[in-house]
Amino acid sequence: MERAIDILMFFVLNAIFIVTALIFTAYLTLTIFSAITLRKYLRKNSYVDYNSIVASPMAPSLSVIAPAYNETEHIIDNIRTLLSLYYNNYEVIVINDGSLDDSLEKIISAYELEKVNYYFDYRLPCERIRGVYKSRNRSFKKLTVIDKRNGGKADSLNAGLNVCRNDLVVSIDADSIMEPDALLKMVKPFMEAKEKRVIGAGGVIRIANSCEISDGHIQKINLPKKFLPRAQVMEYTRAFLMGRMAWSELDGLLLISGALGMFDREIVISAGGYSTKTVGEDMELVVRIRRYMAENNLDYDVVYIPDPLCWTEVPSSIKVLARQRSRWTRGTMETLFTHRVLFFNGKYGKLGLLGYPYWLLFEYLAPIIEFLGILWFIFLVITGRLNWPFFLLLFGFVYFFAVSLSIWAVLFEEITFHKYERRRDVLRLVGTAFLEPLLYHPLVMLMSIKGNIDKLLNRNIWGRMERKGFNKS
Amino acid sequence: MRIRETYLILVLGLIFSTIGSASSHGQVTADTLRAVTTVSDTLRAVTTVSDTLLAVTPGADALRAVTPGADTVHADSANVQTGLAKGEHFTVFGSYASRVLLRFKKSPLFITVLYIVIIYSIITLITLLVIILMHRSRLIHDLKLKEYLLEKYQKSLMDYLFEEEKQDEAISELNRIASNPMNRQVLINQMIDLSVNLKGEIREKVQKLYLRLGLKKHSMRNAYSRKWHNNVKGFRELAFMNIRDANDKIIEALNSNNEILRMEAQIAMVRLADGNHYDFLDLLEKPLSLWEQVTLHELQIQHNLKVPVFKKWFGSDNESVVMFALEMVAWYKQRGAGKEIMKLFEHKSEQVRFTAYRVCGDLGLKMAFPGMVKKYPGESFKNRLEILQSFAKVPQEKYLKFLRSVLDSEEDVQLQIEATKAMENTGEPGISLLIRLMKKKSEYRNYQIIIRHVLDGRIY
Repeated sequence: MERAIDILMFFVLNAIFIVTALIFTAYLTLTIFSAITLRKYLRKNSYVDYNSIVASPMAPSLSVIAPAYNETEHIIDNIRTLLSLYYNNYEVIVINDGSLDDSLEKIISAYELEKVNYYFDYRLPCERIRGVYKSRNRSFKKLTVIDKRNGGKADSLNAGLNVCRNDLVVSIDADSIMEPDALLKMVKPFMEAKEKRVIGAGGVIRIANSCEISDGHIQKINLPKKFLPRAQVMEYTRAFLMGRMAWSELDGLLLISGALGMFDREIVISAGGYSTKTVGEDMELVVRIRRYMAENNLDYDVVYIPDPLCWTEVPSSIKVLARQRSRWTRGTMETLFTHRVLFFNGKYGKLGLLGYPYWLLFEYLAPIIEFLGILWFIFLVITGRLNWPFFLLLFGFVYFFAVSLSIWAVLFEEITFHKYERRRDVLRLVGTAFLEPLLYHPLVMLMSIKGNIDKLLNRNIWGRMERKGFNKS
Repeated sequence: MRIRETYLILVLGLIFSTIGSASSHGQVTADTLRAVTTVSDTLRAVTTVSDTLLAVTPGADALRAVTPGADTVHADSANVQTGLAKGEHFTVFGSYASRVLLRFKKSPLFITVLYIVIIYSIITLITLLVIILMHRSRLIHDLKLKEYLLEKYQKSLMDYLFEEEKQDEAISELNRIASNPMNRQVLINQMIDLSVNLKGEIREKVQKLYLRLGLKKHSMRNAYSRKWHNNVKGFRELAFMNIRDANDKIIEALNSNNEILRMEAQIAMVRLADGNHYDFLDLLEKPLSLWEQVTLHELQIQHNLKVPVFKKWFGSDNESVVMFALEMVAWYKQRGAGKEIMKLFEHKSEQVRFTAYRVCGDLGLKMAFPGMVKKYPGESFKNRLEILQSFAKVPQEKYLKFLRSVLDSEEDVQLQIEATKAMENTGEPGISLLIRLMKKKSEYRNYQIIIRHVLDGRIY
């Protein structure tokens, strides 16, 4: 019996070897892919002149849709930023999602708005639209404001889609700050499309905490002073510059961040618009439009642009972060469950064979397995059964590998966009890479578990972001 | 994200570790050890690769150094001997394996891999840190150097162009710069930047200087390089300096798979053409993307190039070339192409027909409208919308009946609005018809709301 167990252990060991080797190979491959893609992008981009499309009459028409809920503090500045983007042929649609504060009144007054007789239909489901506003002042002719009953972000985006008329739509959080050339960079893949139709494009989201903002524009980029947002800088850098870039190249991208994404309006409407049944409407939309294209045998592309295009404030308190991560987890669960047909389904190509399984196994299930492992670890410590030398070795193995991946991400940032100009900021980011696996990651894992529990208990809270506000320069 | 997955490994390892500890309950018995050692022997036999791994692992030495009795090649540990035949000799690996077994109670290969990855990770992160710091210093240095060189070269170029008495001195200085491969590219870039803003004689002087300094050789080498990014530089430089020696290579690149190279080749062809700037369109086999079309159009405007009669490309097999030609016909108001545009209503490509409808509206080609009315019922939604928008651009009273029928029959809001706009744009006859419709109560159509939208001047 003992011998049988030992032999079994031997095989389990080898299985662990194989799994480990596979995981490491996968990560190193993704890192290499990202490096190649970034290099290719930067080299190509160095020959691109974006000015040629700024005023071109041939450039596609865009609608920027920005839902806002109780954003009274920043809404005026943020709309001003949206109205001053470098692009000619675009409109801005701000949706007041039943705000309880004075956002609407402020916008009406600042932009000289009045209610117009706007005709539209509820092609996509959304809450009742109380009014559509346009400005008397022709300087703000690009601006349309929709006032509607509260229905959440997805509902607001659907309202915007019902009202807008342009070929491409850009969804953005009203509290985010777009880079002035963001539209130029995002529209490029759509304009370059030939055989394959580009249906979605995402850009890198950067963290604006501690940055200096003036008139709705980033004036000085600083690394967040507090550890929690700084750890998120590390997390975002890794996720965007390494993960999403590689997945974009591998055609397995499942998520374009809700903070900034550009989509083909016709496809979004044909696929049914944003789902109001999930709190992860950004991921759900990408999966659904990809599914729609695959089911209709249409060639398509979803692309990612490594340029930092949008700045957003991230939670700086554990309480707010917990709410945000719980929502992300619930969103992932809902999307994966809704589109479970994709799982290892060859009909959907890389989406079914690569993207979906990765998200299921590594993004969704990983924190659960981790959590069970920690419970098991505690049990072993209490009962004195833990093999300490092996545990410490394994811990060192995981820790150093994780840190080295983060340092790769810092390097990618440094050799690509090096947004943090001060050497001190770079060093602090490196320091964060060492602390993050010990202090931040366990926290995020627990928040993800909370998300699972919330979902099981049907606690569908959106999670309000409490903003500290940007530093005014 | 990645940290999460690496933690997975930790958890898997933890679960595994408990299997081992549970079976021995913290005490390695002689029997268990024997059994494990047998497994280890098997492992040794099966995985000879471990020896190689160990040999290349710097950590093995480190391990030996911190392990008591590490130099002993023979397994003289009583515990180990219990499980092995006396006097049996081990290899270095055997000794290492037994020590690993004693310490970790795990497969030596597994432990070795863990050591390797730890060491790899530490070495990687130290190396990356050094690269990050060096890169930052290099960035600052390069920036300063570039600024200095630009200033210096600009001065020499200005002396050559505008200061007769300093010309010889400037040429010798520029010759010195051009002889250094590192600085040559900076000099060429500077000359190109300069020539963009120059015209006539002065520009020719820059081109002469370029030839005199032997920089053509550098550009030709780039144009024929096997690396696409060098080709791009070469094409650009040759095009700016009006040198046609690499035209064969540029023509070849017109159908390259690399879109940047392709676009640069198109730009170079436009610049280098003797008058027929767009003749290269006949050579295009790949689709001309919208991005490329916009770039070519901008180039045309920027350099005030001679405008060809674009309708000659309406018969091209390349749909994107037809669309580009249509766009240009509209932009340059080439109304003489009316009949040829109308023929494109029958084009097999929906996108070409779409552009043709739009161009008819832009050019105000009234003769094309009966054809559009005819095509309307069979067209896609997008094309129907475009047809109606053209009607709004060229308001004609005689089509009110058609537009009214569209308003009555179409279910889509956008189509209704465009039809109403077209009616409104006809002026008095259209507006009175709309007012009559507003008063008319219909159980099928809420005309009031549509017409109010269109008549609201605040909606642009």
